[in-house]
Amino acid sequence: MKKTALRSVGLAGALATGIALTACTSGGLPSADAPVEIDFWGWAPGYAEAVDAYNASQDAVTVNYEEVASGAKGGYEKMLNAVTAGNAPCLAQVGYETLTSFAAQGALEDVSEIAAADEDEFSPATWSAMSVGDAVFGAPVDQGPMAMFYNTEVFESLGLAVPTTWDEYKAAAETIHAADPSKFISATYLNYDYAGFDWQAEAPWFGVEGDAWDVSIDSPEGEQVASYWQGMVDEGLMSPAPMWDQSWYTGIGDGSIATHVGAVWIAGVLKGSAPDGAGKWAVAPMPQWNAGDEVTGNVGGSGTAVLKGCENPEAAWDFAHFMSTDPDTFSALVTTAGLYPAATELLSLPVLSEGDDYFGGQKIYEVFAESFAQVANGWVWGPTMPETVGYLDDALSKAWAGDGTIADALVATQEKTVAGLDAQGLSVAE
Amino acid sequence: MTAITANGASARTLRWRTPWLFLLPFLALFAAMYVAPIVFAFVQSLFTLQRSGLGLAAPTLSFDPFANYARVFSDDEFVASLGRVLVFGAVQVPIMLGLALLIALLLDSKSARGRGFFRLASFLPFAVPTVVAAVMWSFLYSPVTSPINGFLEQAFGFTIPFFSEELALWSVANVVTWCWTGYNMFIIYSALQTIPGEMLEAAKLDGASATRIAWSIKIPMVRPAIILTTVFSIIGSAQLFNEPTVLKPISGGAITSTYTPLMAAQASVAAQNYPYAAAQSVVLAVLVGVASFVFFKVTGRGER
Repeated sequence: MKKTALRSVGLAGALATGIALTACTSGGLPSADAPVEIDFWGWAPGYAEAVDAYNASQDAVTVNYEEVASGAKGGYEKMLNAVTAGNAPCLAQVGYETLTSFAAQGALEDVSEIAAADEDEFSPATWSAMSVGDAVFGAPVDQGPMAMFYNTEVFESLGLAVPTTWDEYKAAAETIHAADPSKFISATYLNYDYAGFDWQAEAPWFGVEGDAWDVSIDSPEGEQVASYWQGMVDEGLMSPAPMWDQSWYTGIGDGSIATHVGAVWIAGVLKGSAPDGAGKWAVAPMPQWNAGDEVTGNVGGSGTAVLKGCENPEAAWDFAHFMSTDPDTFSALVTTAGLYPAATELLSLPVLSEGDDYFGGQKIYEVFAESFAQVANGWVWGPTMPETVGYLDDALSKAWAGDGTIADALVATQEKTVAGLDAQGLSVAE
Repeated sequence: MTAITANGASARTLRWRTPWLFLLPFLALFAAMYVAPIVFAFVQSLFTLQRSGLGLAAPTLSFDPFANYARVFSDDEFVASLGRVLVFGAVQVPIMLGLALLIALLLDSKSARGRGFFRLASFLPFAVPTVVAAVMWSFLYSPVTSPINGFLEQAFGFTIPFFSEELALWSVANVVTWCWTGYNMFIIYSALQTIPGEMLEAAKLDGASATRIAWSIKIPMVRPAIILTTVFSIIGSAQLFNEPTVLKPISGGAITSTYTPLMAAQASVAAQNYPYAAAQSVVLAVLVGVASFVFFKVTGRGER
């Protein structure tokens, strides 16, 4: 009996000691002159180096960078969950397409009072992409004007001219596939990569009418884009390799995927993940719906957003502003990640007028500079984008695989998105 | 200390208290990691997200105990996902456990050769994390570079559409079977080891063949292990998540974001609708609980 009593006391004692020890270790206060610590979550290649450059440039703030999965692949979920749980980092990489949705979750901190002084340094479109109404939620970093990446070997071997219109693009697709059935003009496009085509066709998915959302994912303009790609699917001209899958990178490297119509940062993706494609790829302007038109779309582009609960927004803004505007830091981001600056001063960076070895020495950013000036106006992102692209991808993946049509996928996405907005009590304009 | 043990009443309290003190670490973790989240999820499922106008401010929660549950049962995709795992379980679990039992009996038989090797080989897939296994199978299933289809095409001139509407579920089932057969085999095999040798010897002396011994003695003797693995597998089927999630991007839309009940709940989390995700989880948990209970009842009745 005595032994048992002693044992139980021993156990309780051990527990008590454990608690006391924990209390001790968490009790220390930071000394007054220690630097402010800011946590930052992102995924773009080159961000880690940008953080190092900032930390080396001054002593007052230390930024801790953590690489997370890219937004649509789980990064946003992690960030929003962290905000809900109250342990979010101060700063996070948030794409313009998702910023409104983050704001609608109350996941962002308004830093307009701190940031307003720097507004003039950024292009108006990117600044408004980081704002909702009068609130500013962070610093824009880059933007995603679109162009056509193409495999010069494939086009030259067949004596094909680089397509300038979508009709020519389809003709090229037929020639490429007829010459070698294992080769395709392109892989398929989902979520925001697909949205870029609707952006070019001036078929915005959302709009604001007074105090209500106007949802137009199934607009007639969008349906024309859908029927174009439907024609490509029906004729078997699209590669079955899913974009972002290993087979996609392989296809980019070995010529079985001949083009990709996408944003400037695709350059960084190709360089980083499809090294076999080096020297084979080049960039041409985005194909047009009508010969002679000069309209392009935009895919992605992101900013450094200040998340809800950030205790030191001044320090957070200081870093965000640095990464977006420091010439040396951004030059490195251009080279490694293919980021195209949101800060207007940086548009004259020497690196943006240099040739790129991966692209056979082509000065690719000159193509994107043109595209940047031609991006269609009037695109608006909705308040529930993660939900919307979830619906879209479920239906669109089926359509690309020949089950249902792309137009039906857009209609289904429209209906589910509107129902989702209604269910949460949001106003939707009829 | 002596004062405590001298006092009879205190000693009784102590006797009563000691086992609880030993249970405390378990109970504390169980309550914190298991009970609390379940209660939290249940409470959360009674609320709905409410916003207004353009909804550019944080949503508020309003108490509406039946709204999420009403939506769960009228959500075609969620109901379809329940049906899907039901079909999956009804087909995959018997096949997997049949295989596991067969391998266990073969390993246990007197004439087995290379027992150590085969035991390890069949258990090895379980050592591979299911996500890694699914990634590996996604290479084998790849619509573009599948080596299986590459071989079939060369040798026989046909390919298997792994992600056609009809086959996708069974492609997933194949991965699950590959991962878990060895694990279940090991539980059954361990149970086989506990059968007393004299019983098997007696059967042998009576002239029973090896097949007869397996059928009439070994299988009835490992019945509890088979029931246990069945319940584990029923729960596993209901919680199907890793394999379909990994295969989704290459499935050409055959595997949607709401393919299984857990994926559907996860999709609701991604859409930041925690209350609805909680309601989906609660419904799934209750259904699995009922299914396991019924299974125990049915199999328990046969035993008596």
